Amino acid sequence: MRTSTTIAGLLLVVLDLPAIGGAQDGRGAAPASYPPYTRPASTFVPQRTADGQPDISGLYVAIPLPRGIETPLVPLSNRAPNRANSEFSYSLNERPKLPEGAQVRPVGVDPPDGKIPLTPEALARRKEIIANQEKIEHLDGRVLCLAPGVPRSTIPAPVVGYQIFQKPGYVVIFYEQSHLYRTIPIDGRPPPDPNIRKAMGVSRGRWEGNVLVVEVTNFTNNLSNNWVIGAISATPGVPAESLTTGHGIPHSNQYRVTERYTPIDANTIHYEARLEDPKVFTQPWTIAYYAFARAPKGYVPVEYACFEGNDKNLLLMTNTDITGIRVSVP
Amino acid sequence: MKKPIATIGALLTLGIAGGLAQAQRGAAPPRAPAVTAASTYNGPRTPDRKPDLNGIWQVLGTAHWNIEAHSASEGVPAGFGVVEGGAIPYQPWALAKRNENFQNRLMADPLRKCYMPGVPRATYLPFPFEITQTPNHIGIAYEFAHATRTIFLDGTPHLEDLDFWMGDARGKWEGDALVVDTVSLGDKTWFDQAGNFHSDVLKVTERFTPMDAAHLNYEATIDDAKVFTRPWKMSMIIYRRLEKNLELLDYECAEHVYEKLFKGRGGKP
Repeated sequence: MRTSTTIAGLLLVVLDLPAIGGAQDGRGAAPASYPPYTRPASTFVPQRTADGQPDISGLYVAIPLPRGIETPLVPLSNRAPNRANSEFSYSLNERPKLPEGAQVRPVGVDPPDGKIPLTPEALARRKEIIANQEKIEHLDGRVLCLAPGVPRSTIPAPVVGYQIFQKPGYVVIFYEQSHLYRTIPIDGRPPPDPNIRKAMGVSRGRWEGNVLVVEVTNFTNNLSNNWVIGAISATPGVPAESLTTGHGIPHSNQYRVTERYTPIDANTIHYEARLEDPKVFTQPWTIAYYAFARAPKGYVPVEYACFEGNDKNLLLMTNTDITGIRVSVP
Repeated sequence: MKKPIATIGALLTLGIAGGLAQAQRGAAPPRAPAVTAASTYNGPRTPDRKPDLNGIWQVLGTAHWNIEAHSASEGVPAGFGVVEGGAIPYQPWALAKRNENFQNRLMADPLRKCYMPGVPRATYLPFPFEITQTPNHIGIAYEFAHATRTIFLDGTPHLEDLDFWMGDARGKWEGDALVVDTVSLGDKTWFDQAGNFHSDVLKVTERFTPMDAAHLNYEATIDDAKVFTRPWKMSMIIYRRLEKNLELLDYECAEHVYEKLFKGRGGKP
């Protein structure tokens, strides 16, 4: 509790720096005056696993994102407090601290103006999605209990636990959110056939020193609701180029992500994700933040069954009844 | 009768965990002989000298359709059944319920609603699963509906006040056999497509006994006094998938629900 107050106070100071009195849609806002993003220089050397990997295994919880999370585009006054973001995710757990000297800044670090470099078509598509949230075809895939993909599954959600396993040749991540998982081979194998598609993508990892670098490709895009990036809910007046808007950043079959997991100290992992999709973005763009803090002693990951029982939720939200649908199982 | 075995198991676990801490920290794997008094297992071992279960596994057979012996029907291959001793010892009311489930199975099987399969059904679905083995936790990732289980080997107690689709699993090594107790499974999952079911007091005790590097003997003892007249056991072989560079793919069941729903509604597809 005290920790979060401190971080929030720090944020207010930082966020006050830029001229944020721009137009409501953000287009007239002055460029952000955050210092350029630099990757955190970590001198921390993790212990080694039996097969010689830097040992980052264990239970983690998400570090709350700064409230102005994604972009300086949005005037502070527009940011509703306690909206459905990471704020309420931490009532049961002590809020993890940022490491000493951590740079607090919006999550979107490149391009530095904080805008998602959407193509005109993708921007129009996103506006349409935002304007039609009551339709199930445009509903947030996470509300549908679809796997949110990468990096979205690493953006703090109401279910915040992670378990990192390591075994020879692999790093494996279990997400408490919707019992998602990823198996990341680190043996140099190539990505699979382009016809192979997975909701969480197909991951190929390597250790660069103590940094785990993961290339993620072969994402599913078979539904209009597979959104691999976004926060949780839309804030009124937020421009569609903003990550804060949360919803509806589509991706094509060429979408790929390069993730970097940097252990900062024994308790903290910094996360960076570079997103590329020539059909959706005019240039690659990057988000970065302190993502994982080692879970408090005694933390027990529990099952988050999202889809089971979600039919009532969908009925309420979209007046759509899925209770009669059955899927063939081999 | 159970207690002494559990105590010995716990002691062994503790002793080996001590050795393991060193192995995990970069030293060469310890050369201490494995605890293999009654084991014929000669496959690979982890640094803490447990049988190495890491990898992708799958059950062959027809238990997923019906765990009891059955002839073929449309779309369902015949099978000898996996229930030791033949029939499941249902209480009379429960047998009637099972038969009703069977009649209604195309709509009533929770798997066809894309619900998580529960335990032990997850083991013998016609999909592979991947084991990730560490000294304190064993993670199992299932291809079907990306279900997971984390088996706690750290001596922590069950969570018994909540229900979980995949239950609450606590395990221990008994020699070379991994023994897992799973409770808190709720009453909403089935054992197969044939309507075999259980109540919320179900306790499943699984025994994964490695036979060699590529085969596990799998036994699941089903204890549910509300539904059965006595505990009973199913057993089968789990096969290691040996294809080079194999990895789990997706059967994102929920996606297929929405594909059906969106067809013709303007969504994609």
